[in-house]
Amino acid sequence: MKPKADVKTKAGSQIKVITGNAAAAIGAKLARPDVVAAYPITPQTEIIEQISKFHADGEMDCELITVEGENSAMNAVMAASLAGGRVFTASSSWGLVFMYDAILATAGARAPVVMVNVNRETPGIIAVSSGQQDMISTRDAGWIFLIAEDCQEVLDLVLQAYRLAEDYDIQVPVMVHYDGFYLSYLSEGVNVPLQEDVDRFLSVLNDQPQRTRLLPGGKLGCGTHGILGGYLELRYKHVSALERSKAKFEEIDKEFHQIFGRSYGGQIEEYRMDDADVVLVGSGSMCGTIKAVIDEKREAGVKAGLLKIRMYRPFPSEAMVAALAGKKAIGVVDRSLCFGFKGGPIYTELKSLEIQLGGSKMISFIDGIANTDITKANVEQMIDTTCDLAAGKDVREVTWVSYPEAREPDSEKTGGL
Amino acid sequence: MTEKKKGKLTKVLDYLKHDDPFSKGVSFCPGCSLELLLRFIPQVLGNDIVITGTPSCSAPVLLGQNNQSWHTLSYFGTLMTGAAANATGLVRYYKKAGIKNTVVCFNGDGTAADIGFGNLSGAAERNEPFIYICYDNEGYMNTGIQKSGTTPFGASTTTTPFGSASKGKNLRRMNLGLKMAMSKIPYAATATLSDLDDLAKKLLKAKEAKKRGFAFLHVFAPCPTGWGYATENTIEVCRRAVKTNYFPLWEAVNGKIRMTKTVKKPQPVSTYTELIKKFAHLNEADLKILQDDIDYEYCMLGGLSVLESECQLPVSSED
Repeated sequence: MKPKADVKTKAGSQIKVITGNAAAAIGAKLARPDVVAAYPITPQTEIIEQISKFHADGEMDCELITVEGENSAMNAVMAASLAGGRVFTASSSWGLVFMYDAILATAGARAPVVMVNVNRETPGIIAVSSGQQDMISTRDAGWIFLIAEDCQEVLDLVLQAYRLAEDYDIQVPVMVHYDGFYLSYLSEGVNVPLQEDVDRFLSVLNDQPQRTRLLPGGKLGCGTHGILGGYLELRYKHVSALERSKAKFEEIDKEFHQIFGRSYGGQIEEYRMDDADVVLVGSGSMCGTIKAVIDEKREAGVKAGLLKIRMYRPFPSEAMVAALAGKKAIGVVDRSLCFGFKGGPIYTELKSLEIQLGGSKMISFIDGIANTDITKANVEQMIDTTCDLAAGKDVREVTWVSYPEAREPDSEKTGGL
Repeated sequence: MTEKKKGKLTKVLDYLKHDDPFSKGVSFCPGCSLELLLRFIPQVLGNDIVITGTPSCSAPVLLGQNNQSWHTLSYFGTLMTGAAANATGLVRYYKKAGIKNTVVCFNGDGTAADIGFGNLSGAAERNEPFIYICYDNEGYMNTGIQKSGTTPFGASTTTTPFGSASKGKNLRRMNLGLKMAMSKIPYAATATLSDLDDLAKKLLKAKEAKKRGFAFLHVFAPCPTGWGYATENTIEVCRRAVKTNYFPLWEAVNGKIRMTKTVKKPQPVSTYTELIKKFAHLNEADLKILQDDIDYEYCMLGGLSVLESECQLPVSSED
């Protein structure tokens, strides 16, 4: 799909044609977790099926807990993590929000859980379809959120997630997101690393101090009542760890490159950004399409670029300002809604950096919701509109690209729904 | 630690082989049965247990505040929704890492019978190797006396108050212990604080049974504050609950039930309810409904105790 590796496949590693879900399962297997909790939900189910098969075939030496619901999946891995284990689970959408209280508790307990969330629309309207609304519904939980663009990045991010979550200086749970349906069931060539290389990559963690563990007779309490200053102290440390995780992720990306030959740029990936006048900001699987359209637009003389968000929580404010400052116009593509605001969530957040960006104009595109394809034509429209904005033309602040009936959300219409 | 003395008392104290890990003064209500129960468990099972607890009456003492604690046990303050899943995660990791453990998942009836029943049931189905203890004070006492699944018929609570159009809770209670026994787990039992030797034996049996999987104890734990009885009557309330068959004492190995205390001449339930204000408004017809429910549940126990076989699980080679 795109040239990422600057070295050829390492001797012994294999290119396999596998789905995003298989890439996630293999990534988890290579990380050698102690405890895995498994519960099915579309479009994630294939991950836990594959892990169950690895387990049944003796290829994966972990405790596999086939829980009775997602809430228990998160509670089980949180506790196993606090006891000292390396853990994995996966979910999506309705499952993710069913474990919501445990997601919050896991972050509060600073349990370095790693999980995969295969993005899907959330409850509200029944939709077995892609969308990042589940990610948005859990974004304020205090986790680190990473977003993959393709199947290779799914596998690689799962491995990087362990380095980040379990790092002694971080100890924050990490959720790896990728688009359901588009990546979960898409088969493409994935370089599956050697176990020994993964072991080497993760062995850095073994050299760090042992994190606090809940052990029999250890006289340790987890989950005490946080009172006043005690509560503030924990929250402040948590927020600080999230800030530290930005630089740590960049470091991990560099080390990953040294061992595996693939690098992604850390918190964000910049595509043809150096001389770009107009920029689309996107995340996940849409970025491949955006890159293709940018290449075509460049042929036509349009100086367009892409900023791909790889780390969504913490929000990579500094990296984004550095990459975007001075650009004439920015179009932010959101695959979700920010209820209460007209624009999408990422757009709304980027708007908070308007002053630091030095007057770059911004508009919001909402697309890709509920499996509406973000087509090349859609992306072209977005780039054209962003160019219009750069040229000082009057354009709408928010465009629902695949729903042309939509004006900006209408505050004047009355009567019924 | 105990000198041999005469009679039953010595028998109970003989079970207390370990130190009391709790501070001498703790912040429970006067007369609370929970304090006796919480101090009792680690003295019988050992101070190397890992105990989990939820937001509940036990939380002010069990969970501590910031970095201060009322006890020296390893403990984990869990969510009511996922307590049994938290305990599952602990024992599975300990198993993987080869760490010997006794995990006690300690919850009220709100967690066990209501909001956390799904994961309790799931842990039992998976036969997870830990001890689940439900201390049953028949309602949400810590939040101010609300109805739960185990609140009995007729009890007045703040969400089932007695009034001109209501007799209190107008539903029968859930029999949580029986439900868990029907999960065919290695060990399930009821216990209460008027029969401490029975409780101690069952704790030790549960510890032994967890080598084969899930162990469940349903402990009747009356609440003077929420039920309205004199604080000195806690043990008497327990005693009468047993003597009326309101709370019979039994155990079930692999689903087969055996009475551990048979009451020869059960007293009418009114000898139990008369001590407790939450039942004070019940007339004879109401008490008959409560009595019928007690008789029906006892009859079920009797039927299940004459089953000829128990349900055996395959023994894991790792044990």
